[in-house]
Amino acid sequence: MVDFTNFNFEEFMGMGEDSNPLLMLIWILPIILFVFYGQRIQLMVASGEIKKQIKKLEEYQTESKKELLDYIKKTIHPKDDQTKKVERFFDYFNIYPVDMDPNGLVSKVRHVVRSREDYSREHVKSLSENPDEIQLTKVQTLLEIATSLRLIHKIITHLFLTAKKQNNYPLILPLQMMLPFIMEEAEAMKDAISAFKKGQPVGDGIGPMVVGKLMLNTKKEKIAFQTVYSETEFENRKLLLLKAEGPGSTVGRPGDAIEKIFSKTKLDLIIMIDASLKMEGEDSATTAQGFGAAIGGIGTERYQIEEIATKNNIPVLSIVIKQSVKEAITLMTKEIANKADDVRAQLYEMIKDNTKSGQTILIIGVGNTVGVPQ
Amino acid sequence: MIFSKEKITLEFTIEKCDKCDKEVKRKFVDGDSLFKKLSKCSSCEGVMIIDKIFSETIEK
Repeated sequence: MVDFTNFNFEEFMGMGEDSNPLLMLIWILPIILFVFYGQRIQLMVASGEIKKQIKKLEEYQTESKKELLDYIKKTIHPKDDQTKKVERFFDYFNIYPVDMDPNGLVSKVRHVVRSREDYSREHVKSLSENPDEIQLTKVQTLLEIATSLRLIHKIITHLFLTAKKQNNYPLILPLQMMLPFIMEEAEAMKDAISAFKKGQPVGDGIGPMVVGKLMLNTKKEKIAFQTVYSETEFENRKLLLLKAEGPGSTVGRPGDAIEKIFSKTKLDLIIMIDASLKMEGEDSATTAQGFGAAIGGIGTERYQIEEIATKNNIPVLSIVIKQSVKEAITLMTKEIANKADDVRAQLYEMIKDNTKSGQTILIIGVGNTVGVPQ
Repeated sequence: MIFSKEKITLEFTIEKCDKCDKEVKRKFVDGDSLFKKLSKCSSCEGVMIIDKIFSETIEK
């Protein structure tokens, strides 16, 4: 047992008669230092860490740009050196519509996003005399990756330099907290380049992969921009299959496609199959079923699907395959690929459980269809 | 990290016979694409089709 009854405070603090002033300084100085300069020291430590990450971001940005230019040179054989023209694409930005009056906002956002897509597609096309459509979609995706990495680097550098300039530690705190998440996404994007260049299926392509296999040996029809559709039968039910047109790198326009399909055919059920971000602690490649439209992106496609489903009282069911950000945009992992057959079985069970003979079901494989034909 | 093992990602292609379901696993080569029809199956009259393309991460 420790005896606290004869505790000598002065002796403990090193201020007794026989104390050495030098020893006293050893513990007093750090306290003074931390009281007055604590934030500065923290700022210096945090700055060092952030600087390292910014350097990494810069490397990612340079690498993605180099990979894009190499890919353009090797595949679409531009007429002359297009470096300057391609570099101009990197700084394109979107100005989203005013949202003070939200009425009609979705169509305005869709207009801005599609204008950008159309514009960049046309410019990528102009790089070559005989462009191959599949290669063009890959170039467009690589361009998006390079642009995003450049933007991330720019924003992080801006926030860091502002905090440094003002010597403002609280300003650097949110950056320090967010940086691991941002770095995870940036690394995922950097690693995604290889899969898109080689035209390999990515984790996000699991939905199109499931539906694409069902589409084999059926008559395919182009129903909307970069979106294909076909029909088949299952236990006296009509199945309408929809996915982005593979094997190019695109997500298609399922919203427009549904509008067209619905104008011709009455639908009894919509089933969507998509990749979904897993939570920390959740196993990768686990599946879950749910209600509502499983589709990511900016929200315009989901809005179109929800509008039709709600107005016409069509139930929307979803099957999602969980994965991390990195798994979603890099080459499909073994675990995710092995889930395709299981998801197909779940799909058939869902159809049997929720529809009757003679009904029509629309099945949408949502996601980037790179490396996934039909 | 000092104690973390180096990770290598390998790319594989799975060929599957459309009749007997025989599977062959091999390394991915450029030009492989899902559902691509390949040679005849060595065990039956079926055709080998690329069923899966995926990555496997191995710790060194």
